[in-house]
Amino acid sequence: MNSRSAKDWLTQIQQLDFPQAIKVMNVCGGHERAISMAGLRTALPTAIELIPGPGCPVCVCPEEDIYQAIQLALNHDLILLAFGDMLRVPVNVPKSQPRSLEQARAAGADIRPVASPLDVLSIAAESTKPVVFFAAGFETTTAPVAALVKQGLPDHVHLLLSARLTWPAVAMLLDSETAGFDALIAPGHVATVMGAEEWRFVVKKHQIPAAVAGFMPESLLAATYSVLRQQQSGRLFLDNCYPELVTAQGNQYAQQQMHSVLDVVDANWRGIGMIPRSGFELNAKYAAHNARLHYPDYTETVRKRQGQMPAGCGCAQVVLGKKYPNQCQLYGKACTPRTPIGPCMVSDEGACRIWWATGVRT
Amino acid sequence: MCLGIPMQIIEIDGYNARCEAKGVERTVSLFMLQDQELAVGDHVMIHVGYAIQKMSQQEAQSAWDLYDEMFEKMDAPEA
Repeated sequence: MNSRSAKDWLTQIQQLDFPQAIKVMNVCGGHERAISMAGLRTALPTAIELIPGPGCPVCVCPEEDIYQAIQLALNHDLILLAFGDMLRVPVNVPKSQPRSLEQARAAGADIRPVASPLDVLSIAAESTKPVVFFAAGFETTTAPVAALVKQGLPDHVHLLLSARLTWPAVAMLLDSETAGFDALIAPGHVATVMGAEEWRFVVKKHQIPAAVAGFMPESLLAATYSVLRQQQSGRLFLDNCYPELVTAQGNQYAQQQMHSVLDVVDANWRGIGMIPRSGFELNAKYAAHNARLHYPDYTETVRKRQGQMPAGCGCAQVVLGKKYPNQCQLYGKACTPRTPIGPCMVSDEGACRIWWATGVRT
Repeated sequence: MCLGIPMQIIEIDGYNARCEAKGVERTVSLFMLQDQELAVGDHVMIHVGYAIQKMSQQEAQSAWDLYDEMFEKMDAPEA
């Protein structure tokens, strides 16, 4: 537990000098939610910009994968399971066709939301119909999916996996010439599972201050203070401001399970493109449960704007921290939580959804 | 989807446990914590129904307090 209160950390931060603006990126929807809910942006000196980065797995889930899930559910007598916030994400199809899993369900497909991989087992146990679990998520979700597979899947359950690793997107940004941030707050629960050391490259290779943070305002402010101090002193290190749960190596048992079930593969990020070694896929031993190998590939059908964000949608720039949610031309106009256009307004992890929920209207 | 929820273990049955948080009970998996000793009364951080790490009672309480505050705001009617 951080012994200092959020107020103490704020005072510490306010006592620092800011000769120039500093951009601090977070890469976790949970962090962005906590920052927005606690009103940290307005509490901090104006020289500090807190930027939401790639922290929403639903937002970057390939449009093709969602289209494939919709087509599997429409064209086969099966039960399609997905995490709840995936159901309303729109794909690019003519208006006559279902644009989301939710619309496909309304059209008669058996699509059900799940809150946990454990739900997959209970639903599969009650049905002889084939089950496809469409699982998008970062490491915090992928580790439980790997545990599910390791525990043993019934023969009639297949996985359509859209699992992604968090750090390669940050590495991709830092390798580009326009990273757009000066310091990083690393995701606390990803680090709980994968270990804080995974983020050392940010400091070592790119000389960018970094600190792992938890989800309390005091932990987020401790991490903010840490990266600001690091930058000002020139003494960079990887700080851990969430020692209650995060260790250098993380949950190694969970990692072993992941490695025994999954391969790390090159993966496509919606609106962003291919990022090397940034995704997980079932390995050869578990190929019999891979829905991509078991069912026809519907993504070969040529569609307008296939793979892209919807027309006019700024989600790709929002996810990369290049644009704030309210800088998107659709934000709060055509795109609201009631009538979302882009995935960032659908998912609870999406920066647009979070900003709207905390009262940002323009 | 990615929200971590601290819960308290009230019963352990193999890899699964009955857990409680603020009066709500759920079955969660302890499969990812097989190498740790867990007992009834312990607190664990849950992600999508799976415990990812053990935590103290004090940490769990702080997280619950924050979530209460956040959900109150999230549930507020949209303007």
